[in-house]
Amino acid sequence: MKIESAAVIGAGVMGAGIAAHLANAGVPVVLLDIVPEGADERSALAEGAVEKMLKADPAPFMSKRAAKLITTGNLEDDLDKLAAVDWIVEVVLEDPKIKQALYKKLETVRKDGSVVSSNTSTLPLAKLVKGMGARFARDFLITHFFNPPRYMRLLELVAGDKTRPEALEALRDFADRRLGKGVVVCHDKPGFVANRIGTFWLQSAVSQARELGLSIEEADAVMGRPVGIPKTGVFALLDLVGLDLMPKVDGSLAATLPKDDAYQAIRRDWPLLKKMIGEGYTGRKGKGGFYRLNTSGGQRVKEAIDLETGEYAPAGKARLDSLNAAKAAKGAGLKALVSHDDRGGRYAWSVLSQTLAYAASLVPEIAERTTDVDRAMRLGYNWKYGPFELIDRLGAKDFAERLKAEKRPVPALLQKAVEVGGFYRVHEGRLQYLGTDGAYADVPREDGVLLLSDIKLAGEPIARNGSASLWDIGDGVVCFEIHTKLNTIDPDVITMLGKAVRTVQGGNYKALVLYNEGSHFSAGANLGLALYAANVGMWPMIEEMVEGGQKALRALKYAPFPVVAAPSGLALGGGCEQLLNSDAVQAHAESYIGLVEAGVGLIPGWGGCTELLARLAADPRRPKGPMPPVATAFETIGMAKVAKSAFEAKEMGFLRQEDGVTFNRERLLADAKAKALELAEGYQPPEPVELILPGPSGKTALTFALRDLRAKGVATAHDAVVGDALADVLSGGPGADLTEPLGEAEVLKLERSHFMRLVKTDPTLARMEHTIETGKPLRN
Amino acid sequence: MVTYAAPLDDIRFVLNEVFDYQNTVASLPGYEEATPELIEAVLEEGAKFCENELLPLNQPGDEEGCLFENGVVRTPKGFKEAYKAFAEGGWTGLACDPAYGGQGLPKTLQFIFEELICSTNLSFGMYPGLSHGAYNALAFHGSDEQKATFLPKLTDGTWSGTMCLTEPHCGTDLGLIRTKAEPNGNGSYKITGTKIFISAGEHDLTENIIHLVLAKLPDAPPGIRGISLFIVPKFLVKGDGTLGPRNGVACGSIEHKMGIKASSTCVMNFDEAEGTLVGEPHKGMRYMFTMMNVARLAVGIQGLGLAETAYQSAAAYAKDRLQGRSLAGAKHPDKAADPIIVHPDVRKNLLTMRAYNEGARALALWCGFAVDVAEKHPDADKRQEADDLVALLTPIIKSFFTDYGFEATNLGVQVLGGHGYIREWGMEQLVRDARIAQIYEGTNGIQALDLVGRKLGQNMGRPLRRFFHPVQAFIEEQQEDPRMAEFVLPLAKVLGRLQQATLHVAQQGLKDPEEAGAAASDYLRLFALTALAFMWARMARVGLDKLEGDQGAFYRSKLATARFYMTRLLPQSSGLFAALMAGKASIMELEEAAF
Repeated sequence: MKIESAAVIGAGVMGAGIAAHLANAGVPVVLLDIVPEGADERSALAEGAVEKMLKADPAPFMSKRAAKLITTGNLEDDLDKLAAVDWIVEVVLEDPKIKQALYKKLETVRKDGSVVSSNTSTLPLAKLVKGMGARFARDFLITHFFNPPRYMRLLELVAGDKTRPEALEALRDFADRRLGKGVVVCHDKPGFVANRIGTFWLQSAVSQARELGLSIEEADAVMGRPVGIPKTGVFALLDLVGLDLMPKVDGSLAATLPKDDAYQAIRRDWPLLKKMIGEGYTGRKGKGGFYRLNTSGGQRVKEAIDLETGEYAPAGKARLDSLNAAKAAKGAGLKALVSHDDRGGRYAWSVLSQTLAYAASLVPEIAERTTDVDRAMRLGYNWKYGPFELIDRLGAKDFAERLKAEKRPVPALLQKAVEVGGFYRVHEGRLQYLGTDGAYADVPREDGVLLLSDIKLAGEPIARNGSASLWDIGDGVVCFEIHTKLNTIDPDVITMLGKAVRTVQGGNYKALVLYNEGSHFSAGANLGLALYAANVGMWPMIEEMVEGGQKALRALKYAPFPVVAAPSGLALGGGCEQLLNSDAVQAHAESYIGLVEAGVGLIPGWGGCTELLARLAADPRRPKGPMPPVATAFETIGMAKVAKSAFEAKEMGFLRQEDGVTFNRERLLADAKAKALELAEGYQPPEPVELILPGPSGKTALTFALRDLRAKGVATAHDAVVGDALADVLSGGPGADLTEPLGEAEVLKLERSHFMRLVKTDPTLARMEHTIETGKPLRN
Repeated sequence: MVTYAAPLDDIRFVLNEVFDYQNTVASLPGYEEATPELIEAVLEEGAKFCENELLPLNQPGDEEGCLFENGVVRTPKGFKEAYKAFAEGGWTGLACDPAYGGQGLPKTLQFIFEELICSTNLSFGMYPGLSHGAYNALAFHGSDEQKATFLPKLTDGTWSGTMCLTEPHCGTDLGLIRTKAEPNGNGSYKITGTKIFISAGEHDLTENIIHLVLAKLPDAPPGIRGISLFIVPKFLVKGDGTLGPRNGVACGSIEHKMGIKASSTCVMNFDEAEGTLVGEPHKGMRYMFTMMNVARLAVGIQGLGLAETAYQSAAAYAKDRLQGRSLAGAKHPDKAADPIIVHPDVRKNLLTMRAYNEGARALALWCGFAVDVAEKHPDADKRQEADDLVALLTPIIKSFFTDYGFEATNLGVQVLGGHGYIREWGMEQLVRDARIAQIYEGTNGIQALDLVGRKLGQNMGRPLRRFFHPVQAFIEEQQEDPRMAEFVLPLAKVLGRLQQATLHVAQQGLKDPEEAGAAASDYLRLFALTALAFMWARMARVGLDKLEGDQGAFYRSKLATARFYMTRLLPQSSGLFAALMAGKASIMELEEAAF
């Protein structure tokens, strides 16, 4: 069976979010909710939810167009709309009676062979199917999405003993390929996998902070970055998800877990939390939470609560020797942290030892494999390492010995790991996990999943320098990988790009893929290096960086083999220019693409202006004539617009219509490679582009608009300077004229000279400095 | 005795011809009346005072030294009278705020005047110098009441000030201090502890001494973040401003030292002395730095001042002293021998001193202008830019000026030969006096670390922009003029080296702080030589257009000295560059036990 259409029942935040994400994936979806009492608009709940989502930030939709795929309705008039759908997701109140009443209704309309799932996070599957009949039980599963459904990559799937294996398989495949989710099959136990461990961890982290006397800033600083957990740590995370969620999840776990479960022993009632929720301090969605922004004195002061007194005071930076020790120990930071004897070190050990030992005691109760648990925590809680990976980082033996020394039980699975040397190993170039049977097995990869991290385990790169590497990814395809901070581009990256072209050309290779497994494809040129070089006046070095980058990207574009870029996350500035100079792009749906140079007082200098103009002009679906592409590019680059998804990037012209989109991050490399091989058949490099540009008259039109913005106070003084330079480049410079097409070399030269002019100005350098130091643009 | 006349012509040249005093400083709000003419008049008076009152006391002061008896320090004969005249002449309040009785003149002028004082009597200069530091700290960070109580008296010189930082077990690392401050409950504190190396800690020049003391409050966080700053007067000050009883602070002894013997260097014992807190608790280090930055520049000027006297004395001697004949044949056949100035090596020594002095003076005034702009310019961006330049140049001026100051005073001794070595000529005193300037206010090693560790990394190198961009712009502007080639080409070359070294040190330092530490002092000197090359190229630019006028001789001398600098001193940069690029390996290799 195949899932081609879906319905979501319940238009609350989660239901609507799931519907939006189905629409993102191009799946037509019916969204129903109840008829509100006394409403004129009987489908107001679903309609309102879609409208609200169109304005929400971060956006549930990848493109506003996706909203058109959602058909709204209500459960009284529109039940018949469910008759044709392949999959119905129930996202209503966590009350078995309400759910079963709904299921009975569904049973009257849904077609044979369709699948029904519940998005419950607290109710066992067994309870939901009880008394529902065999047809329902065969087609029913739990699909547990994480909030927000578009962005959180984990999907927990639970099947009952009566569930058809094909139903599980169909949903797993659909969620993986179409929705891009990392699917973890869980057993039917309270909290499933991620929340079972995650809630335990939060409870432990909160109560240990109180017990050991840590401030919340200290607790977050310790239980965050040094552990590989997002910097929100514990308390800022609770603020983010909402303080009121905690008692609900806790109550449900406490009620459903057996009395002897370790969770029962560590959970505590916490009057302060109740008081805060009662007073509206529910977190970021409320008046604030453990942290709040106090604006009463006319300034915005971040304040933190005192866990003892409940009073707020200005938040401070955590200063602990253990944090310094962890930082100094670099790769061994986690070990250094938990072995430090200040309160930070004791806290880290206490929380982690409880949590990790708990996790080790739960396999195979909650999931078949340790590696599933690790994956769930990575994808569901954004941990960098799952619990078993963390134990390996601490050393399974050291970890167990310290537990023993403290007279605490050592879980049987941990004992096994101690005996064989850890939960993971690399064997014959393959990553293996320790099974509950005590034997290692390959970490499973779905068909069509190709990971650079796996390739790295199996061999050496073709070439490598401090900033980038080349990998043979099989079938004659080379992968160019950047590995700098935020994958910014520095001279070593440019050098390696040149080497990539020579390698593919000179070796037995057919194609090149630009790809990496960092959080971001590339945040653009290394601004810090450029700023430093500018501050010491090394203009020739900067000029060489600009020209060298242009040359390297030109070489990519005109190479006698296809180049496919496969971005995920940020592809900004120079990162975007890599895409613009590739033959094709296979983009992760979550790609954020833009030419943002204007934000730091510059213009794209590596062909960004030239290539965007060429793409806009070549797109048959856009208005004809020389001026529209120029005006669009001027707006897009001048306002440093960033596409918030691969689909928006197509709408803005950064991607071509025929460029591919991959939803599952783990499938991106394989898809890009397939695309590259497809292009390699009879490949011909592109012809050099000629641009018809309007010249000074076009520039006048652009700067006229700019003057208007300046007069209205929308554009700043330096915006006007940058805008003028950009207008000069995009209109083709003073010599351009509609009757004479301009070669791209001419436009590239304009890019260079205006880039150099801008980078020598103080306001541009002030913008660069401000952005590097604060991450925000400076409006000067 | 040494030979000295204040170099007023050179100062005028730098102020008005190399830089534009009128449009840079005199145009700042509050300095409208400090016209070039006024500055010149003040300087002429100041020069007279230094030459006539301070210089004659310098050598006897060194011979006599300070005397410590029964807890009291007696300064050498004549110091008391000279100080009285100095204060009455308004020199203690030259650049102080008119609101407290000061003359409100630019800091630039203070800089220049300090050079003259250091040239003529460094020991004497220590007393008003320390007062000025205390004045600055209180002017920036004191409460209104503290300012009203202390600033007028520091301005008119009836009271003096000190900075009490160092303790027997710590100097550079002030996080370790032990002096305690306990609250009395009435807003005042009891200060207890011992401070050493306290310049002007006790003396007989003023009726009261205001100690600024670093101490720790009972609840202080450990280390450098737990230090507070207190005012502890020698005599408590009553509500009406008159002097009350003696406070619990006393001089335990004075040091016997290599130079500046007429400056009293005291051990100060604080025994439950009453003090008041400056600013907020635990922020003392920050406040102290306000005073230290100004003080560091002032110490740099000491190097220049002493080297100037050494040059003038040595030049006079070399023209006068007849020994042997020129290698090229007799220059003065009518005399028994040629003066030793005919010898290339003697000339080289003299020119080395001169080229450093004149280059350093220009750099000091460039920085002085920036101090004034940073304080007074109406545009906040301009203030910030100037402040960046001062921050960058401060360790360079402090360290390089005092290093070459010691080298130059030594060369002075060399020119005089045996007469330089004996006391009579006053040359060896200059060497001894110069030595301390490399040590106090942060040793020169610390200055180099400040440059590579803090200034290079600050705001992604923004302070660097204030130096590199003007130099680059100057080179671009001048490279078309063939007459400037002999100055611009070496400047461009050394700038390229400095750029490369800067990027190297900044990048290496990020990866491995020891690499930055190993490069630091060579890098600082390379920077200083580049800065002086910039100054010399600018001076040459001015000189080139004025060779024919009635002052032609002055400008021809400038050009000749500029050529000497470019060809004979600047090439050191090659060696420094090679050394610092070699990295830390050979410095760190030898095992500790093998030393």
